[in-house]
Amino acid sequence: MRKRTEAGNDPIEIDRLIHEPARLLIVAHLYVIDSADYVFLMQRAGLTWGNLSSHLSKLEEAGYVELDKEFVDRKPHTMVKLTCEGRTAFDAYRRQMKSLFADLPEEGGD
Amino acid sequence: MAPRTLLSDIERRAWLQTFEHGLWDVAIGLLWLSFGFSILTGYAWMTPVWVAVALPSLQQSMRRLIIPRIGYVAFAKRRRRSASRVTALLSVTALFGLLFFFLTSWSTQPDAPPAITWFRTHMLALIGLIWGGALGIAGWAADFPRLFVYGALLFGVLLGADLGLPYDMAEGLLAIGGLITAAGLILLLRFLRRYPTRKQDTGEGADA
Repeated sequence: MRKRTEAGNDPIEIDRLIHEPARLLIVAHLYVIDSADYVFLMQRAGLTWGNLSSHLSKLEEAGYVELDKEFVDRKPHTMVKLTCEGRTAFDAYRRQMKSLFADLPEEGGD
Repeated sequence: MAPRTLLSDIERRAWLQTFEHGLWDVAIGLLWLSFGFSILTGYAWMTPVWVAVALPSLQQSMRRLIIPRIGYVAFAKRRRRSASRVTALLSVTALFGLLFFFLTSWSTQPDAPPAITWFRTHMLALIGLIWGGALGIAGWAADFPRLFVYGALLFGVLLGADLGLPYDMAEGLLAIGGLITAAGLILLLRFLRRYPTRKQDTGEGADA
């Protein structure tokens, strides 16, 4: 398993693996539910099969998600779940994004 | 009330989507229809037979119609606990039903106190309150808002029958059952049009 860059305390050092919009949606969904299959994630994140597969491979490679392949009615069925590492990384990402925007002035920046 | 965060919104939308298909509505509507028919025809076996047929059919329909379209999702513990709450509630309602049956039987005895006779006089309103209340609480526990409307409708119709409006309990249940079934079928058709079937793990639709 290849470990991707993890963000430290510096807000500029954002976890780019999670920051990508499609992956952010995937991880956010997996964060609030227990697990889901490809169809659910495709539909909720508005992705095609190939796109979803590619994003999940990257997340799996980083150890953020785990794929549980099984057979239902003799058809392959994959359930996706966020790992503890993925949950911790998403928590860190949320904290960083909050701290990044916390000190910005209200609209306009004047 | 605290504002919803985006994350809780995502979770709630996913949860509500599991009720969007209308199959639950069809099942509830058919249940009231079967109650109505069994009272009207005197065939008391109709409702248990309906339940025995409906539960496996509902499970099969979910597997063949719904899951291939919106996928399968296992919700977090909080949601699973709400399902247990609904089961507990339905068990309590069944106990209330038994108590109610006992009180109504007692009210036919000559030595029954007036308070018990009152139960028999207002039987329909009380049934409406118990069933409608159970539906409403189930709606709250499962976060399934349409159940509030169905519970209120059921209570209203049975209260109307109790107050002497020109229909009896069977007709009221048939009307409500028909209405809920029709609403469920409309939701189901809309759902089937909105969510086309997606094949699992076949690579179809892949662009990479």
